[in-house]
Amino acid sequence: MDIEVGDLVVGLLVAVLGLIGLVLASGALDDEMYLFGLSLAGFAALFELGLIRRHFDRREAVRVHAAAERAGEAGAHV
Amino acid sequence: MSDAALHPGAMAVRAPVDYNMAVVRKFTIAAMFWGVVAFLVGVYLAAELSWPALNLGYSFTNFGRLRPVHTSAAIFAFGGSALFGTSFYVVQRTCRARLWGGEALADFVFWGYQFFIVMAALSYVMGFSQSQEYAEPEWHLDVFLTLVWVAYAAIFLGTLLKREESHIYVANWFYLAFILTIAVLHIVNNMAVPVSIYMAKSYSVYSGVQNALIQWWYGHNAVGFFLTAGFLGMMYYFIPKQANRPVYSYRLSVVHFWALSFTYIWAGPHHLHYTSLPDWTQTLGMVFSVILWMPSWGGMINGLMTLSGAWDKLRTDPALRFSVTAVGFYGMSTFEGPMMSIRDVNALSHYTDWTIGHVHSGALGWVAFISFGAIYYMVPLLWNRSGLYSTKLVAWHYWIATLGIVFYITAMWVAGIMQGLMWRAYDQFGFLQYSFVESVSAMHPYYVIRMLGGVMFLTGALIMVFNLVMTVRSPSTDTKAARDDGAALPAGLAVAGE
Amino acid sequence: MPTKIEKDSVTGRETTGHEWDGLRELNTPLPKWWLYTLYASIVFAIVYSVLYPSVPGITGYFHGVLGYSTRTQVAADVRAMAAQRGVSMDKIKDMPIEQVRENPQLLAVALTAGRITFAENCQACHGAGGEGRPAYPVLADDVWLWGGKLADIQQTITYGIRSGHPDARVSQMPRFGADAILQPAQIQQVADYVMALYGKPVAGADTAAGATVFAENCAACHGDKGQGNREFGAPALASQVHLYGDTRAVVVAQITNPRQGVMPNWNVRLDPATIKSVALYVHSLGGGE
Repeated sequence: MDIEVGDLVVGLLVAVLGLIGLVLASGALDDEMYLFGLSLAGFAALFELGLIRRHFDRREAVRVHAAAERAGEAGAHV
Repeated sequence: MSDAALHPGAMAVRAPVDYNMAVVRKFTIAAMFWGVVAFLVGVYLAAELSWPALNLGYSFTNFGRLRPVHTSAAIFAFGGSALFGTSFYVVQRTCRARLWGGEALADFVFWGYQFFIVMAALSYVMGFSQSQEYAEPEWHLDVFLTLVWVAYAAIFLGTLLKREESHIYVANWFYLAFILTIAVLHIVNNMAVPVSIYMAKSYSVYSGVQNALIQWWYGHNAVGFFLTAGFLGMMYYFIPKQANRPVYSYRLSVVHFWALSFTYIWAGPHHLHYTSLPDWTQTLGMVFSVILWMPSWGGMINGLMTLSGAWDKLRTDPALRFSVTAVGFYGMSTFEGPMMSIRDVNALSHYTDWTIGHVHSGALGWVAFISFGAIYYMVPLLWNRSGLYSTKLVAWHYWIATLGIVFYITAMWVAGIMQGLMWRAYDQFGFLQYSFVESVSAMHPYYVIRMLGGVMFLTGALIMVFNLVMTVRSPSTDTKAARDDGAALPAGLAVAGE
Repeated sequence: MPTKIEKDSVTGRETTGHEWDGLRELNTPLPKWWLYTLYASIVFAIVYSVLYPSVPGITGYFHGVLGYSTRTQVAADVRAMAAQRGVSMDKIKDMPIEQVRENPQLLAVALTAGRITFAENCQACHGAGGEGRPAYPVLADDVWLWGGKLADIQQTITYGIRSGHPDARVSQMPRFGADAILQPAQIQQVADYVMALYGKPVAGADTAAGATVFAENCAACHGDKGQGNREFGAPALASQVHLYGDTRAVVVAQITNPRQGVMPNWNVRLDPATIKSVALYVHSLGGGE
């Protein structure tokens, strides 16, 4: 599975942010910190899901594109 | 050498670059969304000042809590999204390089910034604030924003380093100055000690008059680098592009850039005239603010004179009208500012609504208008449309918004001067003529007029949103031909995720 | 991209030779008027910085050739203002308040000073025209808790009411309910009686029992007919004017757990002449005695 270095680094850092969010929310002493911690964790989760979705969409698009090219070549020879 | 009226169309054919315009599209949508939010909250605040019953008695609708929602939405959410979006657009196209750092990093900058905006607004409404103007978010949000900002700076710098043309285009000097200076300002002004890592409450490391000076060094440079340098970067790309003319004077751009960057930093003390700030500090703030006049007008001159040979375009391109009018308001505000920085003028204007009028001639007339001009230009290109849905609607927007600005600033000029004069009026025996509350009640009609000006400005923005949505979606703006290199994404990559 | 200098036919200028996304720059020189105005502003800045305080040192700072200081400026302004006001206010300070009232010139000054001082200090509680609000007495009428003569008003302003000052006016209504001095039934009965005094008798209530309670507990301060007593600051109850409200619930609450308002002592913030002026102003609002 080839993942771009940049995407991997960002993915890891955002995951750390999400964990930090959970830690902050767990010990939160006021409403704001509780809300922020949970929201940060939620943001991180959604962001990671987005990264994963894009990765697989890209792979799918490349696969479809390659198949279409092969079909085109075959058609040209007919 | 070729001798012809130079225009950007006449360039050699080169290999198309695969730009990351998805993030630019996102920021453009965000800018319009937050603009409407900012203007709407502003109108409500203006209504609350006119009719205090609109505070409704709830804590979260109180003027005190909603005010930072408005200022943050206008400066950081609306202005910031416009700057992020246009800076990514401009740096890629002028460097002929795709954004450095990959898509995930660009998406983190976008979504992270939006997250910061939403969390900051929620925190204000819940009653949390560091009480530093334009830096109200508490410590935890400041830390998060720093992460996003570092990513932004890395992307911008990384892209510059990949550039094809050995020189860096002037717009990018201004964007870079904005990015780097805001980083320093943000960190220094927000230095605070949290009560606990689990509490959204902190105490500034500065207190008293030191806190005041740090705050207004920050506050004025937020205006100078966020709202001026950044948007000058925008201006330097979109005006010559829309006018199809070369920038008037390279030499002027160099000199005014460095002069502006140097002198703006000193201007902060002009917010603290006749306070407990030492006299010498007040003097330095004043004199550098006066020197700042011509460096600011350098931007105005370059913006306006670039139109030489293309003034007729104002008749046919309403979007260009926004950009050019923006530069005009910029010139007006950057003359008014140095004037208000003079001690004796400030003695009248300080704490009055004249300051609000000045802020809004800059925010509405310069910042918002130059953003509208850039966004009107970019949207058809970004979404591969043949043009804007309706130029007539752009013209409607322009006139309604301009009228709104005029209502706003003249109401505030009258209100502000009246306040200043009422507060310093003494009778023949040496006693004050007016009590403070009498000056407050005298403001009422002007506050209503100001609110109407805001309603007009909001209406114009809603017209713009409609026009842009129709531009993107209406079949009437469909295009079959690919646009110039880089604006269209390769088909395969357009599918995923944007 | 190699440098490629071109000439612009509209302005006659050459470009710098660089190109970014089709954008070019002309090598137009700096406009002379711009440059000279910039120089002029720098000269202004230097001259101003020589004349006024400008440059910090390690311990001190350069005070400027003119020796200007905002602090000495404001001190001078305050002195000038005090001198202007002092023309009349010094006389008012030394004169008994009733005498000031007899002197038209001084009275005019006093009423001016009184009006603006009232607006800046008293209005927030007592209302712009002295119309009062619940818990804050009306000053524009002729009903007085502590007396409406000039000297009375002057004393009230100077030392306040329950302000903590040793000479403050103090009254204390016992907590008839909270301290169980009266039975709950008795409180209800006397409340009916007080409502009758207010001129708003409660339908169907028997005020005889209340009258007895009143005579035994309340009359000592409020007077046997509810006419009030200024020595104790006890309000007149046989009256249309009410400090906290005229509903039966308010009466019951006040008897049970009395609210005791506080008025600050203004002698720490206002000088004697100004206090006299405010007293004269309040006295002139319509109810002065």
